[in-house]
Formats: sequence, C-alpha cells, structure tokens
Amino acid sequence: MKKQYLIVLIIAGLLTIFNACQKGTAYKALIVTGQNNHSWKTSSPILQQLLEQTGLFTADIAKSPEKGGNMDSFNPDFSKYSVVVIDYNGDSWSEKTKTAFVDYVNNGGGVVIYHAGDNTFPEWKEFNAMIGLGGWGNRNEKDGPYMYFRHDSLIVDNSAGIGGAHGKRHEFEIRARNTEHPVIKGLPQRWIHGADELYARLRGPGKNMEILATAFSDTAKGGTGRDEPILMTLSYGKGRIFHTTLGHADDDGGPALECVGFITTFQRGAEWAASGKVTQKIPYDFPTMTGSSLRPDYKELTLEGDLAKIAAYDITKSTKYFSDLQSRIRYEAKTTAEYQAFEKQIIKVLESADATDDGKKLLIREISWMGSDLSIPVLQELVKKSQLKDAAEFALARLQPVK
Amino acid sequence: MFDKSTRRDFLKRSATVATGALILPQIIPSTALGMGGKLPPSDRIVMGGIGVGSQGTSNMRDFLELKNQVQFVAVCDVDANHATRAKGIADKANNNTDCRIYGDYRELLEKEKLDAVSIALPDHWHGLIYTAAANKKLDVYGEKPICRTIKDGQTIVSAVQKNKIIWQTGSWQRSQSNFHHAVELVRNGRIGKIKYIEVGLPNGNKGIGTPPVKEVPAELNWEMWLGPALKVPYRGVSHWDWRWILDYSGGQLTDWAGHHIDIANWGAELERTGPVEISGEGVYPRDGIFNVPVEYDFLCKYSNGINMRVANSAKLVHGGGATWYGENGWINVDRGRIGASDPKILQEVIGPNEIQIYKSDNHWQNFIDCVRSRKEAIAPIEVAFRAISVALLGEIAMTTGQKIQWDPVKEEIIGNPMASRLLSRPYRQPWSLPTI
Repeated sequence: MKKQYLIVLIIAGLLTIFNACQKGTAYKALIVTGQNNHSWKTSSPILQQLLEQTGLFTADIAKSPEKGGNMDSFNPDFSKYSVVVIDYNGDSWSEKTKTAFVDYVNNGGGVVIYHAGDNTFPEWKEFNAMIGLGGWGNRNEKDGPYMYFRHDSLIVDNSAGIGGAHGKRHEFEIRARNTEHPVIKGLPQRWIHGADELYARLRGPGKNMEILATAFSDTAKGGTGRDEPILMTLSYGKGRIFHTTLGHADDDGGPALECVGFITTFQRGAEWAASGKVTQKIPYDFPTMTGSSLRPDYKELTLEGDLAKIAAYDITKSTKYFSDLQSRIRYEAKTTAEYQAFEKQIIKVLESADATDDGKKLLIREISWMGSDLSIPVLQELVKKSQLKDAAEFALARLQPVK
Repeated sequence: MFDKSTRRDFLKRSATVATGALILPQIIPSTALGMGGKLPPSDRIVMGGIGVGSQGTSNMRDFLELKNQVQFVAVCDVDANHATRAKGIADKANNNTDCRIYGDYRELLEKEKLDAVSIALPDHWHGLIYTAAANKKLDVYGEKPICRTIKDGQTIVSAVQKNKIIWQTGSWQRSQSNFHHAVELVRNGRIGKIKYIEVGLPNGNKGIGTPPVKEVPAELNWEMWLGPALKVPYRGVSHWDWRWILDYSGGQLTDWAGHHIDIANWGAELERTGPVEISGEGVYPRDGIFNVPVEYDFLCKYSNGINMRVANSAKLVHGGGATWYGENGWINVDRGRIGASDPKILQEVIGPNEIQIYKSDNHWQNFIDCVRSRKEAIAPIEVAFRAISVALLGEIAMTTGQKIQWDPVKEEIIGNPMASRLLSRPYRQPWSLPTI
C-alpha cells in the first residue's frame, strides 16, 4: 500500500513538471538584491522559487556589490525582463543604472517592491514616485504626506514627522480595500497574515497609486492605531508597479514569508506587474479571518499530500488537509466523473489498513454527500467497526435513502 | 386540576373577558392582558423551559417581566449548572422553591402539566424537541433558526400544524417598531415594486484552532448534549460556541436568517414561498474545529422575478439588515436604525385604508396573548421555516459549489440527488426523527 502511495506521488510530481513545461514560462523576472538590512540571502532564492512555481516565470537574480563596493559595476540589463523585483535596501545605484531602470519602467516594464524595498533610495525622486510610499532613510514631510485609512476613508496627512515605523512582529488581519482589482479579486475580504512587521507611517508622493489592502496597526503592539497600507499598485509611465510591505525575512525564512497570503499576493502581483492581468487560481490553503495559513516549504499542497496527511490524522492534529480536500472537491468537481475521481481516491484511504479511524471519519462525512454507489461496499464494511459504525451509518443513510 | 383542553378554554374565556371584543382580527393590544399584574395565579400560563443557557434564561426573564402572566414550574438542561440557575430565576418569581429540574426533555414532557414551553437549544436538537413538544400539544416559544436541515423543518412545521399549537419563533425583530415601519412602507409601495433585496448578516467568527480533548465537567451530560449529532470528543466547546460548528449550526448565516432574512421576506411578501434558484460562494476556515463559513455571498432568484442577495455585511453597501430596492428607491432596516434613499419616505404615515401589517410591541407578550386567544402569533412556524430555508439552501449551494434549483411548493431540490442529500442529516442511533 505504501509503495502505491509513492508511485502516485512520483506520477503527480512528473505531471506537475510536465504541466509546467507544457505551459511554457510566459515571463522573465529579475530579482535585484545583494544589500539589505534584511536577510536577502534567504529571501531572494525564496522569491525566485515562488515566481517559478507559478509556471509563469523564469527568474534570475542580480546581485549587487556588497555595501560600500563599487556600484558602477552593477548594470543589470532590465530591458530583458517583464518584471523586476526589488529585494534591495542599500547603496545608491549608478546614474547609468538608475536611468536604465527609469527607462525600463517608462517603457512598460513591471516592478515589484518587496518589503524593505520601499526603504531604499530616499533621495531618488523617480524611484519614490514608483513606490508611492516609503519609510526610513530620513524620509519626512519633505517626501510627501502620510497615507492611511480611518473609518474606511483614505487620509492624506501632511503633518510633519518621520516616515516609516513598525511595532513588534505579530500576526495581523489584512483587509481588502478594492476587491475588484485583479491582484486581489476573489481573495477573502479579510485574512490573518503570518507574524510579520506591520509597516506604518509610510509617506511619499502617493500619486497614481491604488491601495488594495490595509491592516490595522494596533497600539497594543507598538503600532499607530491606523489602518496602514499593505498592498498597493501604481503606474509610472507605461509601467505597472506592485508594492507589498509584507514578507519580513529572517535567516531561516520565517512565518511572514511562509504565509500563503504573502505568497499568493506576491505571485499575483508579479504577474499583474508583468502583464496587467492575473491568471492564477486562488490556492485552497489561502488564509481566512479565522487564522493564518503557512507553507513551511513554500510549496502548495497537493491532493496526494492531503490524502496522505488525512490518512495519518488523529484528533490532536490539524484539519487543514481535510479543509483543503473539501475545497478541491467544491471547486474542481463538476461532472460525475470528476466527483468519482475524488471518490475513488477517498475509497482507497477508507480501505487502507494503515489509515487512522479519525482520518476515515473525516472522509466518511465528505463522501456522505459527494459519494456514489461505489462507496457502499467499503461503508458496509466500516459499519462493522465499532469506532466507525456511527459515521458509516450516517453516510449510508444519505447514500441509500429509504424511499 | 384542569385537563389540557379545558384549561385552555378557560384561559381563552378569561382573555376575552379581559380584552372585550377584539376589533382588529389579528391584533391584540399588548397592554390588554397585563392589567397591572393583577391576574390571579390560576390564570397564569404555566410554562417550562427546555434549554436554559444564555438565550433560554434571557427568554425566561422576558416572560417573567410580563408581570404575573406566566409562571415557570419546570426547567430542563443537560448542564446542571444552567438548570440550577434557571430554577433560581423561576423560584424567585414564584416566591417558592418548587420549580422542578430535569436533565432529559422527554421526562419533563411526560411528567409536567404545562400550557407552553420556551425552548432554546443548539440547532441540531430542534427537530426532535420542537416536534416532541408539539406532539404533547404544548404551545411553543422556540428559538430561531427553527431547524438545522430542511427535513427537520418540514417535520416541525407538520407537527405544529397537525397539533394546532400556537407557535412563536424567537424572531423578536418583528415586534420592534423600526422593522415594522420599514415592512409597512415596503408593503404599501412607498418605494414602488420591489426588484431586488440585499440581506446583510454578521461577519464570521474567529477561529480557535484545535483545542485539546478535555474531561467532560461533572455538570454536563455530553452524550445528551450531542444527542442526534455524531459523537465527537469534548474539547471544552459546547455552550454558545456550538454555532461555529457545522454539526450543530450553519454559523452567523443560519443564526441570523431568522432575523434579517425573515424581515426581508416579510416586506417583500416572500414569507410563505421560497427561491427557485440559489448559487453562491463561501469562505471556510482552513483549520481548526470551527468550520462554518466565515464569509458568504449567495443569490436567490424567485419566480416573481425578485432577486435576493444574502451576504456577510462587510460585502454590502448598506452593511447589515434588510434592504429592499424598489422601482422608486430603497429602504434599509437594521437593529436600531432605518434608512431610505429619500428620508422623506420614512416620514410617510400609513393611512387607515392602506395595508396594516400585524403589529406587536412585545414579542413575548404577543406569544402569551396568542396562547390565550388561539390566534396566529406574529412569527409563526411557516414563515420561520421559509426564512431558514433560504439560508440552508445557500449553505447547500456553497457546500457543493453548485447552482441549486428549488421547488418552493414541493420543497424539493430539482434534478440533483447529490445536493438533495444535504437536505437532511441522518441522526445517530438511538435517535430518529419521527414521521408526522
């Protein structure tokens, strides 16, 4: 039985690769990094992996000289790319590189500003027009107003003060402000983000900018008591910019990067910046207002993985793999054949001697509505087991109604 | 001792004496029977309370505030602490220590001589206990939503009708002036013919993850708490928070259907029919034991062309409550407020020759009045069933991800055996829903 699982997993893996190859990568991305007050050596390869796992991107990494190094030698050819990701907070680029970057965006190049990417280049006017809002680097009222929400209205606040702040890292609720924008269309209205720095007091020109999502910066966590901008889109010339303040990276990654909310908005924002549209599906493990959702290895859950976890489920464990299975059935199954494809996989677990009774109980509930006659024999067997009798009777009563 | 029917006739006679001739057929002034608390004990409605947690004791207090019109002589709860607390409330009002305590509703129904019961339980128990009370020919004040499934609801409606009992649903917004005003304006065409309705219900719960399994506290009969629901280990979650778990509730959606969907139906004259097509989407928690949708948004189409959207309030322009959109404007009503596209609409007075809708100023008084008069209460079982049906059909559409076709006359899902399975929840043995 275990061998069979392994074969299924290998086939699933091959299919994934095959699909990726078949689709072809539509866009080339460049991640600019090399200097940062955050752990760029960790974050940049993760961002690369996240872009490539969409199947839409191939991603290169352009590493700058170390801090204090000769920046004249740093001349990436931006024009080869559809989107440039700024995972950089460091020394100013050369005038030549700056000009090349502005030309790239003016000509329609896409940009993703990632987390501390909005800290860098306080002196560079064009860059600040692209990011809309920034923080730190002695930013203050000379750089533009504070922008935030209060009572659901956007406040443009010209008062004096430094730009950029965050309280202690914590989980916080993100609230969609424009649910029609392609980057966040279809996401929940509110979701809990993995523990992260909640950027606040950002200020800048804020022109040609749309705030897609905010988060309440709680004074109890050292915040401002305002709804601070978290996700933004901007236009500059013909270029599109997606700005996410999320995703603080420690040396070993951390929950802000592992958060499915960060991952999904980053992937969607990058596609939008590259193309002006978003074709990616909302993943089943997207967080909700009831709690965050993390991917410890940054990879999306698979059906086979879900079933393996459910087969090992006991009542002390997470039910997220079962929720994931339910979502798959709800959104993927439309025809009888598609329902039965799920049902056959479920039956295999129900028949397995290795799978736990607790795991089987979850699956029996699901099969009670979406199953068919195919499930009757195994349910009739499970009725004989005292631990599963009630659940199996429940499912049989639904699948074999008394006329 | 009176037997049931003679006692009821006696109550009815005394009501008639107290109120004189009734002028409007359905309306009894709520002040008519209070009489400054002067009714002798023999005229009081004798009640029992089944399920006396937070909502159950709240209802008891509302009945007892009616000043000597009601006495509670027995209470029942699977939590001994609840029952003891409720007995204290009853004894204090009765000025004695006689209120009986039960842990099993069947025993209470068997042993007590009652006129009526007030019932407030988790939804998964409604099918069995509402039906049992009706079959005992007791009048019932029952909490919304009146059922966890369509089949439970159909059984309850049949039991209430067959036994000709007086039923009042705990949809108390019907007895509030702002809701009454809004419904009367809509019914009298003040915003023209209704085209579209939005119903905003509260946003979903927070999660609590997966709490560890705990020892069941001595005061709680967990097996009886679960009753017909599938057996699960006790995790310290029972009272109140049952409403975040699908085995017992559909979450805010079903919890509030008996309020704002009910009001929306009342205004649009949809309260004795149902939609013909339902489709929509929910957002479900990703983890933990709370599994009801935390966001929901579905559209119901009615055969008369009206569309009703039901969603968590954050999704809607007017937020919570019921909003009717007519040819000439809109009216929104929610707790503590009423609004309209033109504020002048709200100043309109309904004339004597216009439609007068059922008026009650006190929901609990209205029930007692109807127990005496044998008239239909302001929130009868049939309309309560139609309100929760909307939410339950929305739940089925969201659970399956399918567009549901519904026959509101036969009360059946059309051409979809898979979705039809969700119209009922099989009961765990030895419980079974009786056939009425």
